[in-house]
Amino acid sequence: MKVHEKILTHYLSCTSPVDKEGYLYKKKVRTATFQRRWFVLKANLLFYQERPADRHLLGVIVLEGCAVRCLEAEEPFAFSLVFGPGLKTYTFAAESRQTQESWVEALMSASHCYLSLLVRDLERLYEEAKQGSRASRSSGSALSLAMNRISSGALGPPVDVSVRERRSFSASTVLQAPPSSTKAVTKKSPKVWSRRNAYVTPLNGPPPPYGEWPLVGSDAMEDFSQLHDYYGQEVGRVREEWLRGKRVEEDTSEEALIDLQ
Amino acid sequence: MRFNEKEMVSLSRQPSEMAAELGMRGPKKGDVVKRRLVKLVVNFLFYFRIDEEEPIGALLLEQCRVEKEDKQTFSIAFLDEAERKYVFECDSEDQCKEWIDAIIKASYEFMRKNLIFYRTEIHRLTGKDPLEQYGISDEARFQVSNGLQALPRETSTL
Repeated sequence: MKVHEKILTHYLSCTSPVDKEGYLYKKKVRTATFQRRWFVLKANLLFYQERPADRHLLGVIVLEGCAVRCLEAEEPFAFSLVFGPGLKTYTFAAESRQTQESWVEALMSASHCYLSLLVRDLERLYEEAKQGSRASRSSGSALSLAMNRISSGALGPPVDVSVRERRSFSASTVLQAPPSSTKAVTKKSPKVWSRRNAYVTPLNGPPPPYGEWPLVGSDAMEDFSQLHDYYGQEVGRVREEWLRGKRVEEDTSEEALIDLQ
Repeated sequence: MRFNEKEMVSLSRQPSEMAAELGMRGPKKGDVVKRRLVKLVVNFLFYFRIDEEEPIGALLLEQCRVEKEDKQTFSIAFLDEAERKYVFECDSEDQCKEWIDAIIKASYEFMRKNLIFYRTEIHRLTGKDPLEQYGISDEARFQVSNGLQALPRETSTL
């Protein structure tokens, strides 16, 4: 299959934003050695060359359908892109923990699919927010709805979904509209979910328990839509429980946080 | 230049809403129209010989200009070379419009601009950053930076 190189190199050199760049060691599979390369991440494409100033592009990796995993076993600060059974695994090593984490996070949010779902979610939130501000005279349902969804994370309180926070947004496309009894607004702004990156083994502590690493042992070849549904169901259940808990609270409802009069 | 070919072929087999047999002509002088299965997956346009499993090629739909050529024909130009266009012949005007729209909206850069626009607007309307709940507020790719304005979503420039 032909990939039109000129189009790719043109995109690399044009003025659209570079999402991340830097040196990483790339593992050469045949010899199991690591070679230092200059990487440039733009959109869902990871370009690499020998040095930043080089005209000659060594290669590009299209970041769709891959999982990002940390591996400490073979090399410090190593991580890989796993495309699934029968497909490639690219292994890299960074020079520090910070660099490793930074790259892992950047790569995890790089896919077109991810961005697409994110935009869809935000579009809905935007529509709700617009409606809310227009209908300022009503019980403010749409606006408080939007705010409710945003401040409550639209997914319930931070239960043990630290890894899923990466993919959890997809659940809101699966969730039904919030229940009609939205009189009770969240009592306080919930704490921002801690940015635990469960893909990184903590330096000074034990790794998170096996159950918190949903991608370990899973089939990375899974269709994204399956993953989407899987997490959606999971989070749907969590939200159900939270809603049940919330209904109990409603008896002691407080003043709305926003006075729209 | 190396690329992850097998993975791209696998990507080209993903289900897509935009997949159709179109007449396709390459950008070089002397290229003729050939019937191809054209398929839009993420920000790539794959094209196959009819009834073949592996695509002949893939076009990255970034930094390109999509134009209506006539009623049922559209073109994609790359590299700021307006004369070097890929031309696609559709079966109807509606189909042609559908494809143009889909290709423009498939661009990663287009989606990114939308995201930034929604993020900014939601923050303005509600006082909250919608990306916080996902833990990605600080990701470089979602920032309004490099002098980028939060553009309205119906932008057709790429």
